[in-house]
Amino acid sequence: MSVPLSHVLIVASLMFAMGLGCVIAWRANVIMMLIGIEIMLNAVMLTFVGGSAHWGIADGQLFSLMLMALTSAEVSLALAMVVYLHRRKQTVNTDEFDSMKG
Amino acid sequence: MLPTYLTLMLLFPLFGGLTCAVAGRKLPRALVEVLACATVWGSFVCAALAAAAYSRPQVIPLADWFASFDLAIPFSLYLDPLSLSMAVMIGFVCGLIHVYSVFYMREDQDYARYFALLNLFVFAMLTLVLGETLPLLYLGWEGVGFCSYLLIGFWYSDPANADAGRKAFITTRIGDVALMIALAWVFQLFGTLSITKVNGMGFLMPVSVITMLGILFLIAAMGKSAQVPLMVWLPDAMAGPTPVSAMIHAATMVTAGVYLLARLLPLIGGSKAALAAIAVTGAVTAFYGATCALAQRDLKRVLAYSTISQIGYMMLGVGAGAVTAATFHLLVHAFFKALLFLGAGCVIAAMHHEQDIYKMGGLRRSLPLTFWSFLVGAACLAGIPLTGGFFSKDSILLAVWIKGGVLYQALYLLGLVTALITAYYSFRLVFLVFAGDNGHVHRNSGLTVMQVVLIPLAILGLFGGLLDLPAYLGGGYLSGFFAALPAGDLPTASHEQEITLQAVAGVVALVGLLAAYLRYGKGRAERMREAQAQSTPLISFLAQGWYFDKLYDLVLIRPYQALAGFLWQRVDEAVIDATVDGLGSGVGGVGGLFGRWSTGKVAVYLISFAAGAALILGYLAWLAL
Repeated sequence: MSVPLSHVLIVASLMFAMGLGCVIAWRANVIMMLIGIEIMLNAVMLTFVGGSAHWGIADGQLFSLMLMALTSAEVSLALAMVVYLHRRKQTVNTDEFDSMKG
Repeated sequence: MLPTYLTLMLLFPLFGGLTCAVAGRKLPRALVEVLACATVWGSFVCAALAAAAYSRPQVIPLADWFASFDLAIPFSLYLDPLSLSMAVMIGFVCGLIHVYSVFYMREDQDYARYFALLNLFVFAMLTLVLGETLPLLYLGWEGVGFCSYLLIGFWYSDPANADAGRKAFITTRIGDVALMIALAWVFQLFGTLSITKVNGMGFLMPVSVITMLGILFLIAAMGKSAQVPLMVWLPDAMAGPTPVSAMIHAATMVTAGVYLLARLLPLIGGSKAALAAIAVTGAVTAFYGATCALAQRDLKRVLAYSTISQIGYMMLGVGAGAVTAATFHLLVHAFFKALLFLGAGCVIAAMHHEQDIYKMGGLRRSLPLTFWSFLVGAACLAGIPLTGGFFSKDSILLAVWIKGGVLYQALYLLGLVTALITAYYSFRLVFLVFAGDNGHVHRNSGLTVMQVVLIPLAILGLFGGLLDLPAYLGGGYLSGFFAALPAGDLPTASHEQEITLQAVAGVVALVGLLAAYLRYGKGRAERMREAQAQSTPLISFLAQGWYFDKLYDLVLIRPYQALAGFLWQRVDEAVIDATVDGLGSGVGGVGGLFGRWSTGKVAVYLISFAAGAALILGYLAWLAL
């Protein structure tokens, strides 16, 4: 392994932070938030893959494959919800949706 | 046989009281009345049998009650001349009052409660008198206090009556606190609470301790016997039915204080200061009561103040160390004061519950039996020579005089002045109520029986002097009977002294009678006119009982109310309640704040999440560094 784990982790952290930043910065738009979440998930997957390579165990690889399946399912559901919400309120601004408040 | 008699004497009224209390409403009225009277008369018969079987003072243990570590309080009774004569008197007078009550309370629907309380009262009084241990005496002491509270406020639907009951209860309670302290102290000092043992151990203690004990017992007696300064409850206690007044406020309960002091005289007699305090209290009370009785308009209040005054005499007698004289007066007073109260009850019943003596008159012809009995009672009260009251009061004055010393001679003079006032107001009452004309009476069959009850009391009052004739007339029965009592030795008076003092007392009484005749007998019409007008300051001062009620209101009740108000509004509500409320609303506010945080907006949650994550990271970083 030529790339040390720490480098992989730094890249993953940066990606996670950027994903979070995207979610927070574009929180007015549901689609941009979904993209941000995807980036954060990718950062997690990168960590898994890096760890798997570092210790020579396949579990991390397996987890990343499962995550890809999970995210594709999530995105398809989320996009359906976005379409539904847009039809309901004619907007994708998340601040308009607060009916779940305690 | 003696234990049986004594047990039955106590159990009869207890049984009657409990039966009336539990089942009285279900039983026919006649049965309740017969039961109540029969139990008290049964008690009297037992007392008479006990008197017949009596030979020497003895302690009669009935049962064990209380025994732990070194404190033992058995249920034991003590029969000696003092308790025996009290028990016989109580049985007889209360029996008559019960019979009288049957007719007096004929209209009242609440007869079951009335008779239950009356019977329980007799039971409590007998317990007080016969108890050998101080706690047993205390039990009876509280029992009569409780029953009198309920009986004074018997017609409780009128707030004034209920207040009078409470006032009596609370005022006497002040004395009871002193008694309780004295009891605890006696136990701590002597290790026993038996009256007979304690009485024999007084010499073991320094005089100052005995003095303090004497003062504590005196305070207890002040409360129960309505002595200055705890006398304010008795005039108000006239709110109860008249037979109750006769029983509680003449014959039994108020004499309990005198009885207590007489009972413990061997103990407290060791201190001259305590005796002087008792004597001064008695004399001052006698004078106070007599002056107040001068100005009362209410028939029963005159008698109430006169009771205070007469009990003052008894205290004076005890203070002079003359238990025999005090008890003699106690017994005779029970007869004639019950007579006066019951006579007043007849008058009140006949006058449609009118109690203002200035609205009465002419009852001499319309109620002759009441008139003659009342006249006898008034003569006894006034101390007209040869009546029972004359001899008994005079034996107290004699004892005070021969006790000697400046203090006692001053008290004797005060007693003599009081006697003059007493004769004056007694006959003021007679002239205002019975003389003149315009008497309309309301007769019924009950009134006849009620008047008949007065006859035995009148006979006893009139010839009560025979109980204890002065030595120059052959000596008395009571003196011989009481000779066994360990009550300190009194110097005996010579016959000349006795005759002189009695002559003085007799002249004083007759002067009082004459003055009353001149002012209220001849000048009756004029006095009636004057009574309509505004009363002078002196008359109001006396009529209000020297304004003691107002004084206590000012000195005790108002500050207490102010303090209570302060504690309630400033401390309880403003500090304690406010703190607790603030704490509650603070927690609520914080909760509300967090509640507002859950807006349901994704953005807020996201920022919170990010902030939380940043905090955790920061914390971890701080740990790592």
